[in-house]
Amino acid sequence: MRRTTLHSSRRRGSGRLDVLILGIAVLLPLVDWLIVQMGGSTGLIDPMKSIFIYAILGLGLNIVTGFTGLLHLGVAAFMAIGVYSFAILTADIYPFQLGFWPALALTLPIGAIAGFLLGAPTLGLRGDYLAIVTLGFGEIVQDVLRNLETITKGTQGINPLPPPRVPLPDSLGGVNGWYEFQADSPVPWYYLFLGFLILTVIANRHLEQSRIGRAWMSVREDDLASKAMGIPPVKTKMVAFATAAAISAFAGGLWASSLSSTGEPANYDFQVSILALCIVIIGGMGNISGVLVGAFVMIGVNDIVLQKVFGWMQTSGLTSTGSVFGSPNNWKFLLFGLALILMMRFKPDGLIPARAPRTTPKKLPSTSGGAGERTGGTKA
Amino acid sequence: MSADRSASEAARPSILEVDGVTMRFGGLVANENVSFDVREGEIFAVIGPNGAGKTTLFNAITGIYQPTAGRVLFRGREIIKEFGGRVIAQALIVGVCTSFALVVALNLTDIWAAAVDANYTYGEPFPWGDSLLSFLGFFKDVGIAWGLVPAILGLFLGIGTGIVFWKNGRRTPDLIARAGIARTFQNIRLFPELNLIENVLVGMDSRLTTRFWHALLRLPRFFRERRAATAKAMELLGFVELADKAAEKAKNLPYGHQRRLEIARALASEPKLLLLDEPAAGMNPAETVDLMRLIKKVRERGVTVVLIEHHMRVVMGISDRIVVLQYGKKIAEGTPEAIKCDERCIEAYLGKEELG
Repeated sequence: MRRTTLHSSRRRGSGRLDVLILGIAVLLPLVDWLIVQMGGSTGLIDPMKSIFIYAILGLGLNIVTGFTGLLHLGVAAFMAIGVYSFAILTADIYPFQLGFWPALALTLPIGAIAGFLLGAPTLGLRGDYLAIVTLGFGEIVQDVLRNLETITKGTQGINPLPPPRVPLPDSLGGVNGWYEFQADSPVPWYYLFLGFLILTVIANRHLEQSRIGRAWMSVREDDLASKAMGIPPVKTKMVAFATAAAISAFAGGLWASSLSSTGEPANYDFQVSILALCIVIIGGMGNISGVLVGAFVMIGVNDIVLQKVFGWMQTSGLTSTGSVFGSPNNWKFLLFGLALILMMRFKPDGLIPARAPRTTPKKLPSTSGGAGERTGGTKA
Repeated sequence: MSADRSASEAARPSILEVDGVTMRFGGLVANENVSFDVREGEIFAVIGPNGAGKTTLFNAITGIYQPTAGRVLFRGREIIKEFGGRVIAQALIVGVCTSFALVVALNLTDIWAAAVDANYTYGEPFPWGDSLLSFLGFFKDVGIAWGLVPAILGLFLGIGTGIVFWKNGRRTPDLIARAGIARTFQNIRLFPELNLIENVLVGMDSRLTTRFWHALLRLPRFFRERRAATAKAMELLGFVELADKAAEKAKNLPYGHQRRLEIARALASEPKLLLLDEPAAGMNPAETVDLMRLIKKVRERGVTVVLIEHHMRVVMGISDRIVVLQYGKKIAEGTPEAIKCDERCIEAYLGKEELG
């Protein structure tokens, strides 16, 4: 009889948090617009894009590391695969020239296949060995992209890439021309990225609260018991791996389109993978809201706060090219490392640790006792 | 074989036949030529002193270990993936794909140059047919070193991988669990961070039919199955008298409740045979009495029960037949009454318990 208001409220609370974050994100351009109208400037909209991309990447990684409990150090490689397949499918120097939407849709199966190909031979490995394999894969993909010059244009990168086009409705509901996203108007991009982030959150939640997500978590919680319950371990991990790879590749395609270029292969290096991993760890492993918070904190500090600090340092004359501390880029990883150590020491479950129950019965015996007495005594 | 088994029991088909199972780990023999059958609807106990090889035997039955010798038959057949046309076809497909991928990977830039660059002029529509022809033409001209050798290598590699995968996956715990043998563990192995319902739902996984896409897109089937599965999980939690704690995390349950949850989780896969590894370990007398009642209730659901147990009150109170292991060998088998009087058993095991 001591079922718990605690759990259900916590569950609703955690559900509310991601809705809250995304709700604020939806309204942010409006606030920005108002500030601009009043003569101020925030410059917040453009950097938010990279927060959203990293949030999508983090949500992909969360499936492997958070739900399934496998350490994955190579998400950047799958992002790069998404970037380059999007580029090759759309750029006009190649014959395919698919356009934004079909190419972006194709990054999903391409990423999934890449994840499957890496996962199939390696997911039998345990713990640390898998981490090493993914780490190595990340390096190999970069090298391949750099050296396969006839196809990837090496360090030049492939450009230009097409931006998305959406039909503009006229007053009668028909199509009245097309709107093409422009590099210098960030708000449409902002909403495009936010829209895909929301879709990713929904997809993650749907998977988490289903048989698929439970199988992932059972592998994380107890590998042997999950096998003994009839859950095929390699297949389960493979699905997690391929899903994460597909989401990462998708993030890559989106990113490439917004830059209109692949950039050079070194943009998708170990730092990107580690940043994504930090987002998952700091936010709270296996927690979708936590990943969102983690992305906002990590990338917010990286792309907004530190840039502001740098700007301030420049205006107040604190920068000098001779000093290592002259630019935040030189010491930001020190900061991140410190944050990670402090997190591990004081809050190992992340900022949003409440891993709320995902499947709760609709009707339980009505609760009378307080939420405090949770564990209850035995009968004896 | 005990002589006093009644005629009706003998007529029941056997559900589990352990046939000469030997488990050897290097020089250590954990089980030696152990044979017995369990009949449908029985409660069957495996007893023996610590280290007698009881849990090893369970692990061999459930596929965690592969018996060094001997067979385990479930409902008259071994649960293994047979080597047949399907396996050969799969291995061949993997082999051909690997072979093709290897050749393409080794010649990637040349293939790209021949099939794409040579046919594409900027701004013109791409001649797909010509490109395909030059792609296929490339393989005609590719030399032995870059074509034939990797192709053969890849074929062997792929077929080998396919066969190794089949061999490793021939008799796995998940396959055996899906066939209808569920188990619990001596040291409780729940999913601590999941709540009770989720624990039971993981056990039910092999009976669920929702696929990835149904879950991702929340198709009607997902909702239908979730409703039915949650109701069934609640029913099972009610069965083990834990329904009022359904939303708790498993790690927050007291020990005795965790044991019962493990039984509910095992029952969720609708097994025909349930293996309980020391279900009464660490329970107080009141809990033990509840447990005996529960095990009888499990049998009434049509599930055959095999249990390892040290509590003689449990073993003698509920089992129909008992097999006794010592040093990995079977030393006796029979009804509780027969075992109680068996001299070797008293010597090996019961004597201490009875006197103490």
